[in-house]
Amino acid sequence: MAKRLKRNLPYIPLAIWAVVVLFPLYWMTITSFKRPIDINRGVSYLPWVDFTPSLQAWRDLRDGAVPVVGPLINSFVAASISSVVAVALGALAGYGLSRFAYRWGPWRNDDIAFWFISQRMLPPAAAILAFMVMFKYLHLLDSVAGLTIAYTGFNLPFAIWIMRDFFAALPRELEESSLVEGASWPQTFWQVALPLALPGLAATAILLFIFSWNEYLFASLLAFEKAKTMPVTIAGMATSIGIRWWLMSALAIVSMAPTIALGLLLERYIVRGLTTGAVK
Amino acid sequence: MRVVPRHRSQPLGAASSRGAERSGAGAAVAHAPAGFFLNPAAIIVVLLSIFPFVLSLGMTFTNWNLLYPGVAFRGLDNWARLFGDATFQRSVANTVFFTVVATAIEYVIGFALALLVLQIERGQRFFRLIFLIPMMISPAAVGYVVGRMLFSETQGPINDLLYRVGISPVPWTSNPAMAPWTIVIADVWQWTSFMFVLLLAGLQSLPHEPFEAARIDGASGWKLFAQITFPLMVPVSVTAVLIRSLELFKLIDLVRVMTGGGPGTATESVTLYVYDLALNRGDMGYGATVAYALLILVVLYALIYLALTRRAVANAT
Repeated sequence: MAKRLKRNLPYIPLAIWAVVVLFPLYWMTITSFKRPIDINRGVSYLPWVDFTPSLQAWRDLRDGAVPVVGPLINSFVAASISSVVAVALGALAGYGLSRFAYRWGPWRNDDIAFWFISQRMLPPAAAILAFMVMFKYLHLLDSVAGLTIAYTGFNLPFAIWIMRDFFAALPRELEESSLVEGASWPQTFWQVALPLALPGLAATAILLFIFSWNEYLFASLLAFEKAKTMPVTIAGMATSIGIRWWLMSALAIVSMAPTIALGLLLERYIVRGLTTGAVK
Repeated sequence: MRVVPRHRSQPLGAASSRGAERSGAGAAVAHAPAGFFLNPAAIIVVLLSIFPFVLSLGMTFTNWNLLYPGVAFRGLDNWARLFGDATFQRSVANTVFFTVVATAIEYVIGFALALLVLQIERGQRFFRLIFLIPMMISPAAVGYVVGRMLFSETQGPINDLLYRVGISPVPWTSNPAMAPWTIVIADVWQWTSFMFVLLLAGLQSLPHEPFEAARIDGASGWKLFAQITFPLMVPVSVTAVLIRSLELFKLIDLVRVMTGGGPGTATESVTLYVYDLALNRGDMGYGATVAYALLILVVLYALIYLALTRRAVANAT
């Protein structure tokens, strides 16, 4: 009896944290089905018990009460193109770093890889103002193209870091025999190594997509109006006085549904990408 | 400077970045265009990362303002201004507070959850999936859902539930002493998931032998954790805390959505201050200076942190 109790004890704190995680999401979901009058009447918790759910907020969102289609497209374009480009270049560099011995002055492969990843550790605030100035002169301010370029630079170090790890874990025998048969290194990379690394490539791209989809600082300063992304739209509306809770909740659900879905479906790959380099 | 433990790469073909050489690994002999692989990425990173950092540094010595034409060299004027700027100093203090407090709480809860998940047999995957969710959401949306809605002082469920059990409403974001803690709560909600994921992966990769040996010696429970698990987890912990704290130094979105830095400057973060200087005043010169002050702070922090933890990591491995 006592043993059984002891075995089941861990479920209590785990369940409590699960509730902590899920309650805000529950709250957001039911709020998106409330009408203004339901909210003003006081705090209500259970649909059909405390209040009658209504599709009003969702209809308003569909009818364009707040801009949602534009920001969704902007977010999608900037996040997907920048992650694909970053993964392509990152795969090349990651392959190079895992197969050749480089020397940049006193730097070896490990130093070069660290130099790349250190770019992601520095506070981006120090780079963002330079981007504003550069983009102003290049006429890239408030354009999706500009944001995509900025995100590519932002994503690339991380892509290199992960891809290097993926390629290092691949067996080399196939590549060696391909080289013996007379294929060049680029051919070997393209025909032998890359197909084997495809799952890693896809996982990395998805992780970078999620980062970019959720990014706020760059988007808020480089893409404030026409090229507005979802996080900027949410932040802009959430800081105003007299928030329309029901509409904002629907908007928030739309913004987080894609990344939560990706996260739940591809958990294993995302965890692998996140822990690369930190855990052996 | 080595931050993250990783395996040494074992080059297959020996080559230099300057050009192709004969590679001599095993029987493989081929031209190894090492630069072909690394150079495109290196060029992009120099253009889109190194160059902006250098340009920003240059901007700190000017009065560059997007709202006015003309740029003049101002020497160290902007840097001198930092010392008399109460908002800047407050934002540094706030940022350090957010970083230290939130990282510590996230580490403790994340570690506890990872240990607990490994003790259960059924439902492991369920909890792992649930705990991953917050990390997938944009911090701007977290700021809205957790910060604005749940902790709304008049219409939020937290104050309502407290009221029902007889506790008077808490001024979550309107009280300058309370507001920083509310920011920390929202950050903990979101990023404990990251600590959990990293520490769980760390626990799963630990060798079995020390545990079996300790169990034969009769160690269990707390003793097992303190003498075996924790020491083995030091390297992963050092990395997890470093990554998370470096991210927290950059905090902006949560604060911007939840309090806008207020009341007054009670929750102003350094990055939010840079954002305000740039967007609302166009003051690129001083904004870049504030950002660079943060960068210097972060680099100093990372160097000190690594120096202090080096011995602990070396002892563990």
